[in-house]
Amino acid sequence: MRRLLPIAAALALMAVFGFAIYSVLGTLKSNKHHSQKPTQIQALIDLPGTVDVVQNGDIYSLSNLKFTQLKAPAYDWVQVEPAPGGDILAVAYNAMYSDVYLLNAQGQVVRLMLSESSSQYFNNHWAYYPRVSPNGNTLFYVQDYFPPGGAYNVNFQVRAVPFSDPTANPVVWSEPGLYYQGGDVEPIPLSNGGIIYAKYSVDTSGGPTDGDTYARLVYVSSPYATPDYLTTEAQDCAEPALSPNGTEIAMVCSDNSLQTSTLQVASWNGTTLGTPVTISSGPLPASPTWSPDGKSVLYLNTLLTDKSSPFQLWWVPKATTKKPGAPQQVTADLNFTATSPPIWAS
Amino acid sequence: MPAGTRPRRRRAGLKSHQTSFSWGRHRVLVAALLAFGFGLSGVSGVVAYFLPAISAALHSTGQATQGGSKNHPQASPSATPAPASNQPFNVMLLGSDNDSKFPPSGVLTQTMILVRINPQTKSVVMFSIPRDLWVPIGDGGSSAKIDAAYLDGGAAEAIATVQNDFNVTVNYWVWIGLGGLVQVVNDVHEVNIVAQMPILDDEYPYDISGTDPYNQARVAILPGPQRVAGVAALEYARSRHGDVLSDLARSQKQQQLLLDIKASANDVGLADVPTIAGSLGNAVKTDMSITQVASLLPLAKAVSDGSVKQVIMLGDPYFTSDPDLNGQSVLLPNWTAIHGLVSQYFPTS
Repeated sequence: MRRLLPIAAALALMAVFGFAIYSVLGTLKSNKHHSQKPTQIQALIDLPGTVDVVQNGDIYSLSNLKFTQLKAPAYDWVQVEPAPGGDILAVAYNAMYSDVYLLNAQGQVVRLMLSESSSQYFNNHWAYYPRVSPNGNTLFYVQDYFPPGGAYNVNFQVRAVPFSDPTANPVVWSEPGLYYQGGDVEPIPLSNGGIIYAKYSVDTSGGPTDGDTYARLVYVSSPYATPDYLTTEAQDCAEPALSPNGTEIAMVCSDNSLQTSTLQVASWNGTTLGTPVTISSGPLPASPTWSPDGKSVLYLNTLLTDKSSPFQLWWVPKATTKKPGAPQQVTADLNFTATSPPIWAS
Repeated sequence: MPAGTRPRRRRAGLKSHQTSFSWGRHRVLVAALLAFGFGLSGVSGVVAYFLPAISAALHSTGQATQGGSKNHPQASPSATPAPASNQPFNVMLLGSDNDSKFPPSGVLTQTMILVRINPQTKSVVMFSIPRDLWVPIGDGGSSAKIDAAYLDGGAAEAIATVQNDFNVTVNYWVWIGLGGLVQVVNDVHEVNIVAQMPILDDEYPYDISGTDPYNQARVAILPGPQRVAGVAALEYARSRHGDVLSDLARSQKQQQLLLDIKASANDVGLADVPTIAGSLGNAVKTDMSITQVASLLPLAKAVSDGSVKQVIMLGDPYFTSDPDLNGQSVLLPNWTAIHGLVSQYFPTS
C-alpha cells in the first residue's frame, strides 16, 4: 500500500499538471477589448465639474476621477441630455420602442416625458435625441415618421412639444425630403427659436456618386421653413454640438469616407458656419459635447491606433483657438455608448 | 585484515555496486516514466483545450462541394483547384437566411460576395453580386434569380453559376448562416460599425429567436460610429426595408461589416480559436482545408484598410430593373458591362 502511495501522488500531480496547462491556455485568450465597469476604474484626467455618460445601458457620473452609477430604474438607457434645474433627460430603449424620461441628478425618475409604446404593433415609436430649448420651454426630439401607404418607408423627423406638457400634440419641424433616406436627427435648439439638425440623404442621381449616403447640417428658423444647408454633401457632417455661448459648433465629418472621420469646430453667427478647423483626426470620433466654459470639447473615440477598440472619453483643450490642443485620452478599458453624447456640467 | 573478509567485502561491494546500478537504472526509469507521464498530461491538456476547435474545424472545413443539382446533375463540380502558393485566389462568400422557416437544404443565398485575395500585394477586392440578378443557373441552365443557385444545387451550383456567368474563377467557397454571423461578431468581442444613415425597419424578420419565424421586429439603428454585438450587427447587415437602395445598400453594409469583423479579429489569438470554433458549430462551412484556413489568418492581419477595394454594382450600366418578370422583381444584367468590371478586378491570369 505504502509503495502505491508515490505512484498515486505522481498520477495526481500529472493530472494537476494537465489541468494547469489547460487553464494557462485559457488565460492566453485575447482580452484586449474586454471592458470594465466605470466604477471599477479611475479616469486618466481630472476634468472639472461632472460628466454623465452611458455604458451598457447604465448612466454613470464622473467627478474627481471617479465614476458613480446613477440610481436609475433598470432600463436600457441611452442618450442623456441636460434639462432645466440640474435634471437630465434620458432615453429608455425597449425592443419595440423607446421612451424619454426626466431624471434627477441621482437618476431617480421625475416624470415620463414621452411614452411611445402601444399594444398595436405599428403604433409603437422610437423617440431619440431629446433636447430642451435654451429658454427651457420646449422639448425637441426625433420620432420615426410612418407615412401612409409606405410600409417600409420609415424615417426620423424632428418634433417639438411644450416641456411642461409633453403629451400635447407635437409640432413637426422637419419633413424628410426623400423617401427611405433615414431622416432628420440630432436637433439643436437655438436661442433665436430656430434649430440646427442633421439631414441624411441618399444620392439617387444615377451619376458617379449614385448610392452614396451623406449627412448635411441644416438650419431652419421655424417649423416648415425652408431649410438652409450649412454643410455640403462632400463634407458629410453630422452630430452637431453648440458651444455654451452659441458661437461655435463642433461636428463630426467623414468626407464620405467609410473608414475614418474627423471632429471639427466651426464658428456660427446664427445663419452661417465659418471655415471648420479639425481638432481630432480619426479613427471614429463621435458625440461631441462642450465644456461648461466653452473652451474645450469632450467626445467619444476609439484608441487612436486601434479603430476596432471600444469607445473611450477623449478631450481636446483649447478647441476654439487656431492651434487646438492635442486630443487627450480621459478613460481606458471602458466601453461607452458612442451614440450617447456625454453631458458636461460645471 | 582477516581472511575471508575481503570476499565478503567484495561480495558486499559487488552487491552494493549491483544495488546502486539497479537503483540508478530504476531512477532513470522512474524519471523517464515521470517525464513521459507529465508530457502526456501536458499534451492531454493542450488537446483538451483545442479539441472543440479540432472537432469543429474537421466538421466545417474541407467540405465536399456537392456536384450537380436537381436540375443539372452534370453541373460543374466545384471550385477550381487551389492556386499555386502565394498566387492570387478567389473565394466565394455565401450567406443564407437559414432560420427555421426553411429546411437546412432549402435555403437561398441572400449574400454573394466574391473576394479576391492577393498574398503578394496583401490586397483584397470584394465584389457583391445582387441576389435578384436574373442569370442562367449552373452550366447554362434555365434562368432564375442568382440566389436560387444554392437552393438548386448547393455550393457547386452557386459556384458553377458564378464561374460561367461572370467569366471568373472561384478557388474556394465559404458559407455562413445567420447564427454564424452573430457568433462570429460575439466571438471577436463586438465590432465597431459606422451607420451611414439612420436605419429604421418596422418589418425586420424576427426569425433567429422566439417561436414563430414569421414574426416581425422593429429595428432602429442610429447613425454614426457605434459598437455592436452579434444580433445588432446582423440587423445592421440584413435590414433593407428602410433604404431606398434596398439590397444594394445592404451589399455595402455587408462588405463594410466584413471589414469591421476583420479589424476586430486582428486581436484574436490562437488561444481564442477553440471558443470561436466551438461556438460556430454548423454555422460556417467551407471547402478550404484546416491548413488553408490557418494560412489565411496572418494574411488577413497583414491586409490594411487601404488595400481593400469594395466593388458594388449600383444599377446602370450593369443592370436594369424589371418589377414583374414571371411575377418576380428581378435585375436584368448587362453582361458586357459586368464582364468589363469583373475582368478589371478579377483577371483570369
